[in-house]
Amino acid sequence: MLEFIVFFVFAAIAVIFALAVILHRNPVVGALSLVASFFALAVMYVLLEAPFLAVLQIIVYAGAIMVLFLFVIMLLNLQHAREENTRPIQQFLGYTGSAAFGLGLVYYIAKYAALQLPNGPFNADARAVGVELFQAYIFPFEMVSILLLAAIVGALLLSGRLPSKVRAADGEGAR
Amino acid sequence: MIPTHYFLILSAILFTIGVCGVLTRRNGITIFMSIELMVNAVNLTFLAYARQFHQLHGMIFVFFVMAIAAAEAAVGLAIFLSLFHHRETIDVDEANLMHW
Repeated sequence: MLEFIVFFVFAAIAVIFALAVILHRNPVVGALSLVASFFALAVMYVLLEAPFLAVLQIIVYAGAIMVLFLFVIMLLNLQHAREENTRPIQQFLGYTGSAAFGLGLVYYIAKYAALQLPNGPFNADARAVGVELFQAYIFPFEMVSILLLAAIVGALLLSGRLPSKVRAADGEGAR
Repeated sequence: MIPTHYFLILSAILFTIGVCGVLTRRNGITIFMSIELMVNAVNLTFLAYARQFHQLHGMIFVFFVMAIAAAEAAVGLAIFLSLFHHRETIDVDEANLMHW
C-alpha cells in the first residue's frame, strides 16, 4: 500500500514538473523543473528495484547534464529573453497531435495490464549490473568511451573557443 | 509490487509531454530539455520491462542511453552556443544555416 502512495505522489511530481518545463517561459525555471522531474524519476527507479541506476540518474542527469544546461542558459543570459509564441496553426497541431499520440500510446499500453509480475527476487544491484556490463557488454562500453571523447572534441570545436593558431591550421573549413 | 503497466503509462505521459514541448516551443534549449524528457520516459520503460522479465539487459541499455544523452547534450549545447554567437538568438526558426 505504501508503495502505491509513493508511486502516485512521485508520478504526480514528475508529471507536474515536466509540464512546467514545456509551459514556463523562463528557461531557468524550466531547467530546475526538469531537475525536480528527474529526482521523481529516480524514485521510480528505486521502486523498480534499480537502485544503481537511480543513483546514476541523480548524479549524471540531475547533477551533470542539467548543470550543463543551466550553465549554457546563464552563459547566454537567456533568463530575460522573450520567447515568442509559435504560429497558432503550429500550436494547434502540436497540442492536438501530441494529445492524440499520447492517447494512442495509453490505449496501446492498456492491454499490458494483464502482465503478471514474476515471483522471486530480482537481483539488480550495482554488482550485478557491473558484472554484466564488463562481461557481455565490454565492447559497447568501450565504444561509448570513444563516443564521449568524440563529443568532447566536437563540443570544443563547435563552441568556437579554440586558439586562433588551431583555427588557422584548420583553414577556411572551421569558419 | 506495483504492476508494470503503471510505469508504462507514466512513461507514455512523460513522453507525450516531451513531444508536445518539441512541437510547440521555439526556444532551442527548451526543445532540448523536452528531448531529455523523452529520453527519460524511454529509460523508465526499459527499467519497467527489465523488472518484468527479470533481465539485466534493460538496465545496461539505460546505462548506455545515459552516456549517449550526456554526449548529445554536450554537442547540442555547443551548437546552440555557436548559433547564439552568430545570430544573437537561439530561436530555432532563425537557425537556417548549415555553414557560416
